[in-house]
Amino acid sequence: MLRSPLAMPLAIAGLTLAGLALVMVSSGYAHFVIALVALTAIAGTGLNVLLGLTGLMSFGHAGFYAIGAYASAILTLAGVSFWLALPAAALIGAGIGGLLAIPAMRVKGPYLAMVTIAFGFIVEHGLIEGGALTGGQNGLVVTGGPTLFGHAFLERELALLSVLGAGGALYGFHRLALSRLGRAMRAVRDADVAAASLGFDPVRVKTLAFAISAALTALAGAVLPPLMLFIAPSSFPFSQSILFVLSVVVGGAGTVLGPLVGALVTVLLPELLAGLAEYRLLFFGLATLVVLWLVPSGLIGTLARLLPKPAPEPPRPSPDVTRLLYRRGGEPLVIEGIGIAFGGIRAAEGVSVTAAPGAVTSLIGPNGAGKTTVLNMVSGFYRPDAGAIRLAGADLAGAPAHAIARAGIARTYQTTRLFGSLSVLDNVVLALDPGRLWRWPRAGDARDAAALLDFAGYEGRLDRPAGELPHVDRRLVEIARALAGRPRVLLLDEPAAGLTRADTDALGGLLRRIAGCGIAVVLVEHDMPLVMSVSDHVLVMDAGRPIAAGTPAAVRTDPAVLRAYLGGADTPARPRETPWRGPADAVLFAQGLTAGYGAAPVLDALALEVRPGETVALLGANGAGKSTAMRSLAGLLRPVTGTILLDDVAIAALPAHRIARLGLALVPEGRQVFPELTVIENMRLGAHGRAEALDPAEIEALLDRFPRLRERAGSRAGLLSGGEQQMLAIARGLMAKPRILLLDEPSLGLAPAMINALYAVVAELRDQGVTILIVDQMAALALTVADRGYVLEQGRVVTAGSAAELAADKALEAAYLGAA
Amino acid sequence: MNAQAMKPQALKTQAPNARAPKAEGRRSPTRRLALGTVALIGLGLASGVHAAETLKIGLVTALSGQSAKSGEAISRGIGLAIDEINAAGGVLGQPLELVARDDEANPSKGVLAARELVQRVGVVALVGGLDTPVSMAIVPIANQMKVPFLGPWAAGTGITRNGAADNYAFRVSAVDALVDEALVAYAVKTYGAKKPGMILVNNAWGESNEKGLTAALKGANLPAAGIEKFEASDVDMVPQLTRLKEAGADALFMVGNVGPSAQVVKSLDRMGWSVPVVSHWGPAGGRFDELAGPSAAKVHFIQTFTFAGNASPKATAVLTALKAKYPAIKSMADVTPAVGIANAYDATHLLALAIKAAGSAKGPEVRDGFYKVATYPGLIKTYEKPFAPGQHDALGPQDYVFTRFQNGEIVAVGN
Amino acid sequence: MLTGTLVSGLGLGSMYGLIALGFHVTYVVSGTVNFAQGSAVTLGAVLGYALGVTLGWPMPLAVLLALAGCALLGLVVERLLVRPFVERASDSWLLATVAGGIVLDNAILFTFGKEPRSLPSVLATRPVEILGTGLYPLQLVIPVVGLGVAFAIRTVFRRTDLGRVLLAVAQNADAARLMGIDVRRTVACAYALSALLAGVAGLLIAPLFSVSAEMGTLFGIKAFAVAILGGIGSATGVVLAGLLYGLAEALVTATLGSTYTQIVVFSVIILALALRPDGLLGRAAVNKV
Repeated sequence: MLRSPLAMPLAIAGLTLAGLALVMVSSGYAHFVIALVALTAIAGTGLNVLLGLTGLMSFGHAGFYAIGAYASAILTLAGVSFWLALPAAALIGAGIGGLLAIPAMRVKGPYLAMVTIAFGFIVEHGLIEGGALTGGQNGLVVTGGPTLFGHAFLERELALLSVLGAGGALYGFHRLALSRLGRAMRAVRDADVAAASLGFDPVRVKTLAFAISAALTALAGAVLPPLMLFIAPSSFPFSQSILFVLSVVVGGAGTVLGPLVGALVTVLLPELLAGLAEYRLLFFGLATLVVLWLVPSGLIGTLARLLPKPAPEPPRPSPDVTRLLYRRGGEPLVIEGIGIAFGGIRAAEGVSVTAAPGAVTSLIGPNGAGKTTVLNMVSGFYRPDAGAIRLAGADLAGAPAHAIARAGIARTYQTTRLFGSLSVLDNVVLALDPGRLWRWPRAGDARDAAALLDFAGYEGRLDRPAGELPHVDRRLVEIARALAGRPRVLLLDEPAAGLTRADTDALGGLLRRIAGCGIAVVLVEHDMPLVMSVSDHVLVMDAGRPIAAGTPAAVRTDPAVLRAYLGGADTPARPRETPWRGPADAVLFAQGLTAGYGAAPVLDALALEVRPGETVALLGANGAGKSTAMRSLAGLLRPVTGTILLDDVAIAALPAHRIARLGLALVPEGRQVFPELTVIENMRLGAHGRAEALDPAEIEALLDRFPRLRERAGSRAGLLSGGEQQMLAIARGLMAKPRILLLDEPSLGLAPAMINALYAVVAELRDQGVTILIVDQMAALALTVADRGYVLEQGRVVTAGSAAELAADKALEAAYLGAA
Repeated sequence: MNAQAMKPQALKTQAPNARAPKAEGRRSPTRRLALGTVALIGLGLASGVHAAETLKIGLVTALSGQSAKSGEAISRGIGLAIDEINAAGGVLGQPLELVARDDEANPSKGVLAARELVQRVGVVALVGGLDTPVSMAIVPIANQMKVPFLGPWAAGTGITRNGAADNYAFRVSAVDALVDEALVAYAVKTYGAKKPGMILVNNAWGESNEKGLTAALKGANLPAAGIEKFEASDVDMVPQLTRLKEAGADALFMVGNVGPSAQVVKSLDRMGWSVPVVSHWGPAGGRFDELAGPSAAKVHFIQTFTFAGNASPKATAVLTALKAKYPAIKSMADVTPAVGIANAYDATHLLALAIKAAGSAKGPEVRDGFYKVATYPGLIKTYEKPFAPGQHDALGPQDYVFTRFQNGEIVAVGN
Repeated sequence: MLTGTLVSGLGLGSMYGLIALGFHVTYVVSGTVNFAQGSAVTLGAVLGYALGVTLGWPMPLAVLLALAGCALLGLVVERLLVRPFVERASDSWLLATVAGGIVLDNAILFTFGKEPRSLPSVLATRPVEILGTGLYPLQLVIPVVGLGVAFAIRTVFRRTDLGRVLLAVAQNADAARLMGIDVRRTVACAYALSALLAGVAGLLIAPLFSVSAEMGTLFGIKAFAVAILGGIGSATGVVLAGLLYGLAEALVTATLGSTYTQIVVFSVIILALALRPDGLLGRAAVNKV
């Protein structure tokens, strides 16, 4: 009942009637207070459009309140009817709101806050300097209130009008939130990138939000002059803007009734505290803090969580979707020699590929090969420096994302970008007509969207907020959403990442069915079994350049591809001369280690141990959970369940810095040096966590080991090459004199010569007795230096053994490149 | 039941929240919070009926911020007078009671507070504060609601001369138009000024005096060297003063609250420009000599009253009574803005007399009661028929004294 | 007069820069700022007055203790008004610090007193004449000290372990954790430093103006504008923007009159941000898809 579609309109109607009744039975000052509450609720609802729906902060809404009040006062003083002045004030507010959106759109976060603060101040001081028009500091005294059919509007009538207005504003907000425009606003807030790739121009959506927000707030302000009988610039200080924000936040941003509750608190609390005279502000500040501490998501937001859970959904029909998706004789997407450079580094160069309709074209390559960069260029997030992207006769290279979406190219993302606050169904409905903000809902919309979800294999509830979905469902909903715009081309960025084998196989079937509808499917993927089984054509990239192309069978036997994936065997790093023998007490021991991000566990009861002086490799395909394991062991990922012992100390509950101080040094994936600090400063920081004082000779010794670092000792780490940064990261890790050194993907993105030098160093460290746990996607390389290894699949250890055993095991190659 | 009696209740609504455990999302604190909200709403709307055991006087003034000391002075003046009146049996058989509201020197807050005092608390009359802009905003409301407004400090001419057919604004304080004439006359007489300049605060008070001074200079047939404005928050007035100096000003009229007035003096010091400064009474609002430094003594400003050097027995008696009632008062420096205390003290007595003369606490009758007050031997002077229709100011130029700061005290010039 | 305007503008500008550096320090380390920074300005001056004048302690001691008080305020703000919200991934720290500022300002009002007081300084009693303009020696000292402190902060950041730890957290918090750095404590330190900088500004400007419970409010807002204008992630940008802001303000006041100062300056800020959305020297975050 409380969740039925009629509940909110009924609640609003009930509250409005209660407000009207309250006006009728009360008198005098109560009218005034009720009117103020109602007007604050209207203004707060205006701010809620911006803050709650679109996620934009404004500390300048008192400016719009003032603009409305002055517009109404000046017009009525000039003899214009109050009833004309009201809409005029709202229009003026909307216009100025739209204008403010121009600079406001260009900035984010605290910068946006500052633009709105500045706007508020400009309005306040503009009114002070407005001369006779605004009455300057003295303000305007408004005599002779409005009349309607000869009936004078005094406080009681104004209170009734304000309550009705507040009811209307709340209902309007309720409708807006459910409308296509309102959903587009939430979509832009939740994931502006994804909204743009559905064809919604974020600038247009945000500008509209600003205009609507300003209009409502100005409308509320327009009722002030006859109510207060006096307005002055000092009625609209900066603190009033803060009060508006406070009322929305306290009530619950994004909720329909939040601004009403917030208005009750921010207007009535000061009234209640009036008797405290000069101590009023002190108590108001304290009361505000108490509310913020107790209900961080707002009063209404907190209450809404107490509502009963919804009833089960009826089973839904599964109509045929090929009608929706099928395209006959489509045209191919032709990519010709595109490339892009970031700060001098060529992330992609000379990439050409043709994605035929009805076929799956895959883009593969090791990490950092530039695959996602290519997708980003095709979908309009990056502007290519060279080349062309042709579809249906048009060159789309460099067009903005929303324009490319409207041309028929849809995409999904490496980390899903669903509109978390919208329901699963709404995510898809919103995508049905790319980019159209004004579109009447059609009867078939929900049916079509449900059919698409069904087609994608989604079996969960349709009314569930997308933000609550488990990982696999997010992938499926995102694919259904991308299909809803009836695209010619579908780009998928690692859709199988984090999926189980069974889910991945199902995904493969889905991709073939999508291609079967005549859509050109472009797949970027690490999961080789999937790529090899679904692709018609494969392009292999390495270090930004294409290195091979052809059918899956041709590509997987190409020596260049094998080298790119498994690493060459021509490394100077040598296995240990004599097999490792050492104490059996583990330095690092993990059992039943389970961890993940959000709903989906990435590690599933992982068990491993590393003994003193041993070098152990952790292997597995992308997404198998290797890096997650390293982050869990080092304490960067918390909470985790299971046991982790470091020298018999339980560390599973400890934060990263405590673990580091206990002697576990992780050299993280991607180096993560401190870019603005010098090489020496980076190294000194490595010793920060240890108890032992720093001896300058240690740095000297390390610089001897890494001669390239000595050459660059004084330069900023950010200016070093990738290989030098990796050396530095290892040197920094060694400065801690760790009990165990964890190396996460040390060879990632390095040139072959650099990788060889790096592994020589790792072998040297091993021979000196450093205990090492190493993760590298170049499995062959890692196994040359390791004593033992574990192979991970879907967060579990599937094989363990000596390095020699694993290197000879064909299963390992299969884990990386897929079974033949 | 009045606003003060509601205080403990207001605090009680907060108490469950303050004690509630930290675990958000659990039901019980949320419920308690919801209950608290409902109670809050209920309390806020529970306006209206108040038992009328006392006659309430509403005070709207700055109790916080840089003018807070003025509000304190006014409160003390009223408080002392109320004690005396109540000791003598009150008015119409009822004791008087002061209900004070902070306007934060903000006209809008003042208007809200005035409405609340009249409509919810049900005060007999309103007493205003230091700031002319606030009083100017309240007066139209008071006239509309037919509640007497009594100004003990703000001097803006338009407060009492507001052009309303039904005027409820009275004042026991200086009046800008008259002050400005006095300032011009003093500058001419004392300094032989021929071409004085104005340095005024950019608000309603400054505007009121801009008009008054311009008219007074015209009346005295003198040209103005220039009119310069500053913001209340300004800290460097050298640019404005330099323009006046270059225009050949030989004396300055200064209108501004104590803070910026002190900055004017400091700016003059830095410029090394030694020019006579004749000021409205802004400097009296605080520790002007401390803020402005040694040159503060050079500024002569107008007052309606000083305790220092005042030998009248009434002044001595009031000072003794003040020290007894407010132990915080230890020296003369603690009663410096004496005008606030004296004006408010006399105004309260005059109000009581007006209510007595009216024989009623109804607004229109009290207003007419003011006209019926015959003689009142007050602190500033003995008032003889102080008010009449068209004459709503109890003090005039004959009551003004020129003063300056000396060792933290305000003393009459020449003493 | 131009000399006076320039000196006055540079003086105020360097103070805006100093307070804005406080915004910068907490922002880079934690992504949050203390909107009650203006109250820290007030607290510095008020404590200096209370200890040095009311209690009559030696000024150097009073100044040191006042600054310690500000640092303590920073710690309290971080612990009570920022951390509880950041740990719940809520943006309400923003409103909480605003409310905290209201509470502190009023607490000062009722303890320190309602009247503005004057903090005496030997450097602000007798003006000296420079290029035809009378100036207090303090007005010359302020920009020197302001820029000096800004430079000292830079040096501290580059040369001391604490500074390097702050920089490390700012550049890569996760990597800093791996070095055994307690990021929470570092953020708390950044808040202490931030409030300390505001306190320095409060103590320096108090003798020129006056000490009162609300003296810092406007300074806090202007300093936030300065921090944003300069690009809140860039220390150099922030100090530079402070000087520009101070000069612009002084010049507009001298030429158009102070009534137009805020309109002109805030319009310029909107315009500047529209043209450079990440501030004068700020760097755009890479939009990673």
